[in-house]
Amino acid sequence: MISIKNLEFRYGDSEDPALRDITLDVESGDFLGIIGPSGAGKSTLTYAMSGVIPHHYKGDFYGSVEIGGLDTVQSSPEAIARHVGSVFQDVEGQLLASVVEDEILFGLENFGIPREEIEERIEYALSSSGISDLRCRTIASLSGGQKQKVAIASITALRPEVIVLDEPTGELDPQSSRRVFETLRELNHTYGVTVVIVEQKIMMLCEFARRMAVMEAGRIILEGPVREVLSHGERLEEAGVNIPRVAALSRRLREAGLYRGNTPIDLAEAETMMREVAADAAF
Amino acid sequence: MRGFLDYVSGDSVPHRLNPMTKLALAFVLCAACFMTKDHMLVGGVIVCNLCLAAMAGVFDRSARVFLSLLKLAFILFVMQVFFVRQGNVLLTLPKGFYITDEGISFSLLFAMRMIAAAMPLTLMLSITRMSDLSNALVKFLHIPYKYTFVLTTAIRFIPLFSDEMIGIMEAQTARGVEFDTRSFIKKVRLLLPLCVPLLISSVRRIETGAISAELRGFNLRTRDSGYKTYGFGAIDAAAFVFCALLIYAALTV
Repeated sequence: MISIKNLEFRYGDSEDPALRDITLDVESGDFLGIIGPSGAGKSTLTYAMSGVIPHHYKGDFYGSVEIGGLDTVQSSPEAIARHVGSVFQDVEGQLLASVVEDEILFGLENFGIPREEIEERIEYALSSSGISDLRCRTIASLSGGQKQKVAIASITALRPEVIVLDEPTGELDPQSSRRVFETLRELNHTYGVTVVIVEQKIMMLCEFARRMAVMEAGRIILEGPVREVLSHGERLEEAGVNIPRVAALSRRLREAGLYRGNTPIDLAEAETMMREVAADAAF
Repeated sequence: MRGFLDYVSGDSVPHRLNPMTKLALAFVLCAACFMTKDHMLVGGVIVCNLCLAAMAGVFDRSARVFLSLLKLAFILFVMQVFFVRQGNVLLTLPKGFYITDEGISFSLLFAMRMIAAAMPLTLMLSITRMSDLSNALVKFLHIPYKYTFVLTTAIRFIPLFSDEMIGIMEAQTARGVEFDTRSFIKKVRLLLPLCVPLLISSVRRIETGAISAELRGFNLRTRDSGYKTYGFGAIDAAAFVFCALLIYAALTV
């Protein structure tokens, strides 16, 4: 679905590249989480995936980014937008209407979706994001989590094959963050939308994402299934990424020679791990 | 005055008017104040604004706008009343200042016009969705969507920037900056440096909005892209009759 080959990008006003030698493939139906410290190039990578780079932010662009077979350099932002929908960190800034319904309508009208299809798409977008009851509410009256869902709904109404999100839960409390992730999982599982999400809440990412990419200084240093990436605890800590406590615990147990199994990614698996360790210690 | 331009949803008669009718009504209410020299008629326009606001369920907001404008109108009245030298002198003041009957009449009319002309616009924006206003301007007046979008987005950003400014001021207050000073000059001097962070955050927000619009096909939009249709009904006809009568009254009274 997304194929990035040897991508290097330097912003016009910067001396150092923001992205260096990025090669990444995202399969259709995947749920990819991107983590890394501040300034690692995560947002820039999402811009490259949505065509904002090179069309909006200018700079030196080397390598290639293909989305659904379209080269982002040669295709217009609108052509790219038919495949990829983007949700930015600044939710307030990207909401353009005063009422939820109008926010969803904006993209549908622009892309010339047939009149008879529009109502069904609005309902689909609202229900898939769990905000059917907010249809006629003014955006100014919504909470941060609700605005985030509206931003996601305004993108899902366009039925993109991929949705790219840049720290969508950055300003949300844990409960609202979980609801946003559940919405994304629903889109991914039920509607087959490919999800690429930049996120700092690694524990939540581990629970919802299938694969994970770790960035450091513009490069992808680790990439693979979540469990596999978490097994490189030392490298993650070197890169400045806080690994979940359950993964850190398994690493210590492994170093002490007490555990040889898979790296746990949630509390249930950690409990199983501890039972195994306790059982081995009893013998 | 916070949120006085935000849309208030509803199903009242003023809400159900065609966006073009609302715009025409707001324009006529403003224009009538400047066409007439009759205080009663201008007062009537103010009352009409408040009645429309009450019908639309936004009376509290309009009353707040009215009271805020009243303070401004009082300042305008005081400033104006000393500059009109014609008419019979009613009160003589030191240093060659005096107040005349014509001065009071003109200043009162001036202040009332300011109130009456400002209220319809805020009322119209309170009961009209920005997207409806924008689409109607494109469909009926054939104004390019880019211009109507800029207009409606600018209006929508006013409360957002206002909130942003309040946030910056609160952050500075927490650091000991005394915005509650009584000296106007000092307050302005304290506020001026805040324009820089406000400008930066505003530009950033506008840039995000521009990218978001572009990625949702903004450049593909045509005059026929609007999904909603805006018909004219009996209430619109009644509103236009009212507009015609008001113009007639303003020209003849």
